[in-house]
Amino acid sequence: MKKADVATRKAFSQRMLEYGEMDKHFVVFEADIGYSTYSYLFGEKYPERYFNMGIAESNTMGAAAGMAADGRTVIACSYGVFITMRAIETVRTFICYPNLNVKFLSSHGGITAAIDGVTHQATEDIAFMTTLPNMKVLVPADTIAAKKCFDLAIKTSGPVFIRLMRDPLFDVYDPDEEFLLGGSKILEKGNDITIVSYGDIIFQALESSAMLKKEGISAEIIDMYSVKPFDYQTLINSISKTGALLVVENHQKRNGLGYELSNFCLKNYPVLFDNMGLDDTFAESGKYDLVIEKYGISANHIAKKAMEIINKRK
Amino acid sequence: MLTTSKTLDERAKNLKTIAREVRLNIIDMIYTAQSGHPGGALSAADIVTALYFDIMKFDPKNLKWPDRDRFILSKGHACPVWYACLAMKGAFPMKELKTLRQLNSILQGHPDKLKTPGVDMTTGSLGQGLSIGVGMALEGKLEKKNYHVFIVLGDGELNEGMIWEAAASAHKYHLDNLIAIVDRNHLQMDGFTEEVMPMEPINKKFQAFNWEVITIDGHNMKEILLALEKALTIKKRPICIIANTVKGKCVDFMENIREWHGLAPNEEQYKKAVECIRKGEQE
Repeated sequence: MKKADVATRKAFSQRMLEYGEMDKHFVVFEADIGYSTYSYLFGEKYPERYFNMGIAESNTMGAAAGMAADGRTVIACSYGVFITMRAIETVRTFICYPNLNVKFLSSHGGITAAIDGVTHQATEDIAFMTTLPNMKVLVPADTIAAKKCFDLAIKTSGPVFIRLMRDPLFDVYDPDEEFLLGGSKILEKGNDITIVSYGDIIFQALESSAMLKKEGISAEIIDMYSVKPFDYQTLINSISKTGALLVVENHQKRNGLGYELSNFCLKNYPVLFDNMGLDDTFAESGKYDLVIEKYGISANHIAKKAMEIINKRK
Repeated sequence: MLTTSKTLDERAKNLKTIAREVRLNIIDMIYTAQSGHPGGALSAADIVTALYFDIMKFDPKNLKWPDRDRFILSKGHACPVWYACLAMKGAFPMKELKTLRQLNSILQGHPDKLKTPGVDMTTGSLGQGLSIGVGMALEGKLEKKNYHVFIVLGDGELNEGMIWEAAASAHKYHLDNLIAIVDRNHLQMDGFTEEVMPMEPINKKFQAFNWEVITIDGHNMKEILLALEKALTIKKRPICIIANTVKGKCVDFMENIREWHGLAPNEEQYKKAVECIRKGEQE
């Protein structure tokens, strides 16, 4: 794990720029945060394929739908809070319902926009987007994954939501890693408990694993970067070995991946289970490390919760 | 255009006959379904008839023709008028009209792009069709196509803020291939438009957004044709045609009555409505 040079939002847009050279067909819609999503990089090189619709997310998504109506691929850029709440009805009825090729560059996912405060922290986005029929949801953890997820999104038919982060964190993947729809990555092998996460919190999970090792516990860490559809085969293989599952996410506890996986396990493979996330609360402004610590999704909270689950078994 | 050799009078007369048939189909569909929105379908009938049977480039045998004109019924609840025109043009069999709003039908309660042949875009949630039209018009410009995008807007849905977001963006991109027609029937679900939410002056609002505005009688076929033909010649600006209409037009007991926004006629009312529309034929 090494410090990342750029945030996933920038890595994604850098790939969009590169990809634009090979694939002349797709266009980009922006809603006046091009200098934040870094979509301006594409706009500078391909002004005829770049449409800045101003601070009007609903119209941005509606026009994206109109442009995609005859099959064109559109990348629609904004922050998670605006795509998944301000414009959600347009996304649902005019993009998901007709199953159009619109890919959402959604920045400031979870409380990775910690310093900006609650208005800019998309902590319900996964709940909203995974609930929409036809929508697929990807959350790359690092810059390599972000670039691969761009390619994956553009090759996947129908709407795809890609949750990205505001700030640079760490890089874990090699440039030749493969990412698939419905795939996941086992970042650490273990036998005592399975810890599933996605996006930024995967780094906290890895850190918690080091803490757990000192207590003699080996955790299996899975990066469930494809949140919808998710990799149930890897999940079953892992929990059938460990018999315990902890899901941690930078999202509300309610209706996130934790709820999805608990439902899956209850129906198919019941194991010891718990999930972590925002506990029916809004967060607040502050430095990222301090905010995730206060709201209970940092490495030491994860390690503590994992111990609790394992102790239930004794 | 199909009819350049005919005079304006001949075209208008022919379209009026077709519009009566469209209205009969609307009433028949909603009566058969015992559900639907007759008022706004009847008010838009002359406009949609003129588009499909005279103005628009449309080939029922090649519905995905890349050069076809696009049509968006932003006031999606009025879809019986659209379905009637599509069926009468041959996009799908007439007998499908009897299945409106029923399980497994290709004719959903509000238009569905994936289910109905000839429907270019799903609509039904008000206030969003103009944004869709902006996207389609941008696509036409990018692909250097000559098609136009025609959108029928309800006057009630002008309440929605998204309409005005779309209006601004249509000006930004000088979308002269975008023609919005406001079905100005003065009624929305809860009452008269100017009582529920006053939007007048509508013409000045669009003009302030740098649109070209043309105001017409939306039941006068000659005025409709002339306005649409003028709209096709305008350069560098999006066009708004404000068509003054009567909600429930041609069915006397439905005209200007709020309740007929979303009500199906019973048997007696159905017979009376058919009689009303047919009576217009003899006039």
